[in-house]
Amino acid sequence: MITGWFWADVIVKVILALAAMIGMALVAIYAELKVMSHMQHRIGPYYAGGRWGWAQPFADALKFIQKEDLVPEGADSTVFRAAPYIVVAATFATFVVIPFSPSLVARDLDLGVFYLLAVSSLTTLGVLMAGWSSANKYSLMGGLRAAGQLIAYELPLALAVVAVVVQAGTMSLVGIVEAQAAPITIGGLSISLPFLLTGQIVSFVIFMVASVAELSRIPFDMPIAESELTMGYLTEYSSLRFTMFFLGEYAAMISMSAIAATLFLGGYWIPFVSETALLYFGPFILIAKISLLVFFILWIRATWPRLREDQLQDMAWRWLIPIALLNVLVIAFFKVVVF
Amino acid sequence: MNEEYRALMHRSEVAVSVELQTQDMTLNIGPQHPSTHGVLRLVAQVDGERISSVEPVIGYMHRGYEKLAEVRTYAQMTALVNRIDWVSGFASEVPFIVAVEKLMGIEPPERAQWIRLILTELFRISSHMVFTSSYPLELGATTPLFHVLRERERVLELIEGMTGGRFHPNFNRVGGIKPAAGGGKTQKKVSMDIPEGWLEATRAAMERVLLSTEQSDTLVTGNELFKARTVGVGVIPGNKAIEYGLSGPNLRASGVPFDLRKHEFHLPYDQVDFNVISAPGGDCYDRYWVRLQEIRESVKIVLQAIDKIPEGPLRAKAPRVLKVPKGQIYVRGENPKGEFGYYLISEGGQKPYRLKIRSTSFSNLSILPWVLKGALVPDLVAVMGSLDFVLGDVDR
Amino acid sequence: MNDQPDATEPLEEEVRDPYLEYGTALAERLGGRAVVEHDTIRIYVDRSNWVETIRRARDEEGLDFFSWLTGIDWSKDVEVGDTVAEPDELEERFEVMCRLSSVEGVAGAHFIAALPKDDAVIDSITGVFGGAEWHEREAHDMFGIEFTGNPNLSPIYLPEGFIGHPLLKSYPLLAREVKPWPGTVDVEDMPPEPEEPAGGGEA
Repeated sequence: MITGWFWADVIVKVILALAAMIGMALVAIYAELKVMSHMQHRIGPYYAGGRWGWAQPFADALKFIQKEDLVPEGADSTVFRAAPYIVVAATFATFVVIPFSPSLVARDLDLGVFYLLAVSSLTTLGVLMAGWSSANKYSLMGGLRAAGQLIAYELPLALAVVAVVVQAGTMSLVGIVEAQAAPITIGGLSISLPFLLTGQIVSFVIFMVASVAELSRIPFDMPIAESELTMGYLTEYSSLRFTMFFLGEYAAMISMSAIAATLFLGGYWIPFVSETALLYFGPFILIAKISLLVFFILWIRATWPRLREDQLQDMAWRWLIPIALLNVLVIAFFKVVVF
Repeated sequence: MNEEYRALMHRSEVAVSVELQTQDMTLNIGPQHPSTHGVLRLVAQVDGERISSVEPVIGYMHRGYEKLAEVRTYAQMTALVNRIDWVSGFASEVPFIVAVEKLMGIEPPERAQWIRLILTELFRISSHMVFTSSYPLELGATTPLFHVLRERERVLELIEGMTGGRFHPNFNRVGGIKPAAGGGKTQKKVSMDIPEGWLEATRAAMERVLLSTEQSDTLVTGNELFKARTVGVGVIPGNKAIEYGLSGPNLRASGVPFDLRKHEFHLPYDQVDFNVISAPGGDCYDRYWVRLQEIRESVKIVLQAIDKIPEGPLRAKAPRVLKVPKGQIYVRGENPKGEFGYYLISEGGQKPYRLKIRSTSFSNLSILPWVLKGALVPDLVAVMGSLDFVLGDVDR
Repeated sequence: MNDQPDATEPLEEEVRDPYLEYGTALAERLGGRAVVEHDTIRIYVDRSNWVETIRRARDEEGLDFFSWLTGIDWSKDVEVGDTVAEPDELEERFEVMCRLSSVEGVAGAHFIAALPKDDAVIDSITGVFGGAEWHEREAHDMFGIEFTGNPNLSPIYLPEGFIGHPLLKSYPLLAREVKPWPGTVDVEDMPPEPEEPAGGGEA
């Protein structure tokens, strides 16, 4: 029965999730500016907003939006215009299944993990569209690199998730968190630990490497590769569309970190906190875990140079995928034989 | 991979390429591009990510210095020549001034020669630090830039303290150096010498420079990803480097330990102790490594020079209007980028009849089409950056 | 390479000039005429022997470092800059000059071939030194000298369709035609004071 209340519910949820996503993306942008500045002995944003330059992301967004919205003459106008929406929509769609607390989740799908993997890959479609439709060789190369990266890194990403699913025995994200909260007994001692500490460390590493690659962040930022392809698929974009890509990129970073936090770090759950308290503090716990992972990704960016496209493929096919396969086997073995 | 397998791979590759004939794409890189260091344009034929040929198009910055030299008096020329390679302005002034001095038979005083030496080395440090900071940036590492440039600022401050300019000192005069800035008429004697406390400040700054090379070592030199991007990339064997006239760190990184500072002594390099750094590989990593080590050697030279610098006048007697006797001379010096020389033909007037400027980067860049054949697009950036050219030095 | 000059050796005796000795011997071996002044060795060769001399200098004399190549315009018709000292005695010609040196010491020489103005053609040395290509293109741009055998003698500095050769003495410096360089005026007005020390010699 679809009633008026259903639609009201949906609209409220969408607006809340959108606000959360954009808000967190803005915070991530600010964090990147500040964290990298301090790692580089700079102050970073200082004036915008009065204190610590907190309004810098807003100022940036405003500046971008003021620019003229250019579509290159030779571009495939429809595809060119549509591309940023696909990126943002795909990123936004991942937030649907992420549980922020036992009750605060837009939709707890039974195939939550499957849905996540499917939807998060759509961003690359948007990137490929942007690269192809821009009528620019740099953009085209950037888009193709992004596509190649997706194909190479979707596999280890999925395999790492498969290992988690095997251990949890469910594909629902709430179910995975609950599986981590469930106590396990080792030598008469009953404790509950996140998957990271109960045998998923390899999966975690693979997942993080693959997600950094999917996010096209240093050391895997070849689709943008400023010094090679000027700005890759973003070269021809300006104004609101550029802002959308920009926000989408950081929102994707948040969503990937949220997925990693949920799958490996226990999501909204931490040990020694009662179920009722989690109802209220769950979101904050998850956000703290997300922040930790985001910081980690920023840290990598401030430290490493970028790899080459062939080295990236090499790493995926020759190292990550075999290791991930082996990891799934080992996890499955323990699941079936030992426990 | 064994040979048989490789041959098989090649055959299958050929079979595929015959079936799917693809056309190379022309990729225009530059003149405005983040990694061309100015206005260099490369017309590359790329097959996917692989470059089949690349043709540099230069001349966007051609300012006609050789022609301008024919209408400038000798005294006006120093302002011009330190703009050729603006990252190491002073080092390109020296050979020109020495050429004029030799033609006129003027011997600059000892102290001036040592000051020239110190400044040359400071500019070498500054130039190499621009390289060690910006090279990782081209490979995508943003942080080294800030850490290295922060310490380079101290060197620039020293240069500014001595000469009054940070990039274009215009500090050489025929017969010595310009009386250092500062002081009024009443303090004539003080103002004639280098600023008070400058040598001590230099000593302190050199400590910081050494510290910065250590930081580079920990952040960049040993970095696995940096090595993956540079080791074995853009290999220039020694004989090719010589054939194309590569010089300076680029030549030394190809296993040819040739440093003009060990051979040409118009600055008192014979009285300081330093090593010629060279590396056998000829790849991008070696070119980076050689420059990083050369910063250390330059620091060594500067510290020795501070101890050895004699008291005395800054400038020998020279006529105010320079009339250079008829003659031809070639003077070269070790610029931070390599051999920098001037072939000066004087016909006895106030202006050169012809001045050939042997600029380093022009020769260093000319190997680009050879070394980039068959490279990948990301390697293009790595190789181009590692050659450390300045467009002003290429185009003159 | 035992006879290459040794710069570390102090020139105590006036008679012995290592550069002169080395230059003369080198010219004798390669079949040219040596002029040595200010430690700068110039070896004049015939243009028919140009490539051969360069090759022999590389292979037999160890001068394997290609430093640069350029042209010189010896001309009476001077639009900008100074004329030669004795214009009447000048034999108008182009000179192609190539510097080769060694990467082991200070050995090095400038090889010069004279070309008549109406027939400025010379064989390219790109077959000997690959790096000469750009230098020959530059000389072609600036002087209009033809290098037969250069694989790509297109303009390197000049824009397409540029008329003239800027480094010719007869080529006007257009910027200065419009507005004379103020510095030249200064110098011409300044009285010659050769005796007065110009700098701080008294410290």
